Amino acid sequence: MNRALSNPLAQWGCAIIASILLLAMFAPLIAPFDPDAINVKAILLSPSGTHWMGTDGLGRDVFSRMLYGSRISLLVGFVAVGIATAIGVILGAVAGFYRGWVDIVIMRLVDVMLSIPTFFLILAVIAFLTPSIWNIMIVIGLTSWMGVTRLIRAEFLSLREREFVLAAEVLGAQDARLIFRHLLPNSLTPVIVSFVLGVASAVLVESGLSFLGLGVQPPQASWGNILTDGKEYIQFAWWLSFFPGMAILLTVLGYNLLGEGLRDALDPRTTKQAKG
Amino acid sequence: MTRYLLKRLFWMAPLLVGISLVSFLIMHLAPGDVTTTEAGFNPKASEESRQKLRKLYHLDEPVLTQYGYWLQRMVTLDFGTSFASHQRPVFLARQDGQGNVSKGLIQEALPITLLINVLSLGLIVICALPLGVISAVTQNRPPDRAITVFVFIGFAVPGFWLALMMMYWLGVAHAWLPISGLHSLHYEHLNLLGKIADSARHLAIPVFISALGGLAGISLFVRNGMLDVLHQDYITTARAKGLPENTVIYRHALRNAMLPLITILGLSIPGLIGGSVIAESLFAIPGMGKLFYDSVMMRDFPVIMGILTIGAVLTLLGNLLADVAYAWADPRVRRGVVR
Repeated sequence: MNRALSNPLAQWGCAIIASILLLAMFAPLIAPFDPDAINVKAILLSPSGTHWMGTDGLGRDVFSRMLYGSRISLLVGFVAVGIATAIGVILGAVAGFYRGWVDIVIMRLVDVMLSIPTFFLILAVIAFLTPSIWNIMIVIGLTSWMGVTRLIRAEFLSLREREFVLAAEVLGAQDARLIFRHLLPNSLTPVIVSFVLGVASAVLVESGLSFLGLGVQPPQASWGNILTDGKEYIQFAWWLSFFPGMAILLTVLGYNLLGEGLRDALDPRTTKQAKG
Repeated sequence: MTRYLLKRLFWMAPLLVGISLVSFLIMHLAPGDVTTTEAGFNPKASEESRQKLRKLYHLDEPVLTQYGYWLQRMVTLDFGTSFASHQRPVFLARQDGQGNVSKGLIQEALPITLLINVLSLGLIVICALPLGVISAVTQNRPPDRAITVFVFIGFAVPGFWLALMMMYWLGVAHAWLPISGLHSLHYEHLNLLGKIADSARHLAIPVFISALGGLAGISLFVRNGMLDVLHQDYITTARAKGLPENTVIYRHALRNAMLPLITILGLSIPGLIGGSVIAESLFAIPGMGKLFYDSVMMRDFPVIMGILTIGAVLTLLGNLLADVAYAWADPRVRRGVVR
């Protein structure tokens, strides 16, 4: 872990993510205004000392909405990727441990899910359900577990043949003990990396869905739906679309940097290569 | 080669069955039956359209029979008729009793999306190869650092936001490029060259936007592939026998580093097709993405299911094409030495 923390990419990523998490956590203390308070006397004001990021078409303070929006975006990101990782770890572990036809069925399912364009799949499911923050999390989770499944399966397949696992098996360890004590703890590195990278892409997907009006529903603020408002006013109020876009960019950048940094630091193969 | 192709085709069959199952499940995902959710969503949905839906998917019959019907429709490529007032067929053109041909929705939208995707794949390859090679050759020096920064920003920038910004700056504020549709109004009166220029101006931003994400990923991929190859013994041999550095890099290293690129390009197809939703609806381009978005907004279920299925089949075909290209480019795969 020390190696991970001394990696410059990971440090930058950590710094960005930590500041965004702090802002999100202390949103009620930091926000200068009520994010949903409509003020007809302050419509579409440009950024100033009172309204750091200006106001929107209903006179709401954009900075306050951005702070509260960050909570939604991060919540959706974490829960969605949590669901995906849980499904992926279970299916990958079962496929890699039991092999045989179970493995074949699970991996064909992965292939099928990978062949359907993900964004189409998400939109189609949303079309059959009501768009709400919970449904978004579930749908993103249910459509992005395939990568983790492949990773865990590959780790299990190679770890299973190692001496310490064979030794445990010879000593009469149960399947559950083999999986949870010996195999899973040793395959967590790629899972952590893919979790961090997954949050980045979930934040992007959520903002895209909200932008299309199929994600988080107004008046609840999310970065994506602040941007949708911004689209309407783009000719008069650049700040409405500029700040949410930058926030998404920085968040995704932070998670990507951390993810790649961790990968570099934790994967001995790429570390060696970097030294060349 | 023929045997390899047959084997690959054989493996596609279970995937097709899987796709039919997943799309069938999505249709039955909604609590209650599709018709009631639709009613809950869209109070304007008439009893008539609900009846139509029930009849179309045979919702009054047992689930297994319903799946049988769905499979049959998939195999015959008959995805029914759109619920929209124009009542056009979902996939292929159909002739009615009076000999009027109504064009299929997907049939009309697909070439447009394919064109955009082929153009952006082309742009990705043209830009990503030099970027990746430069990055690998100057590893950890300023050019590599600059390209890495670009790659990370390319990964992180939300495409729809950049599209919006470019639309505003290039299209509205400066009016250099048109911001909607595929052609100008006077398109029909232009000569061939003018027509090409007009389409190019309309497609410039959408193609750039859809290429950006892939561009970042693939230049990183080329960089890492080149680094792998450059450390191999045969490169040292090539250098040792006194070949110029350019020959070593472009003739010996790049060719091998490019092989896995074929597979990656094949794998990026679903992302590109899926990504077309936002760009196409923002720029009012009548392709698959916009058709899909409009259908989702109108709960036009036959079109949604049709596009989902066709999109998946296209992805499979893309992967097949990539595998065949790989086998063609790498004799080891063709002869079954490595898988």
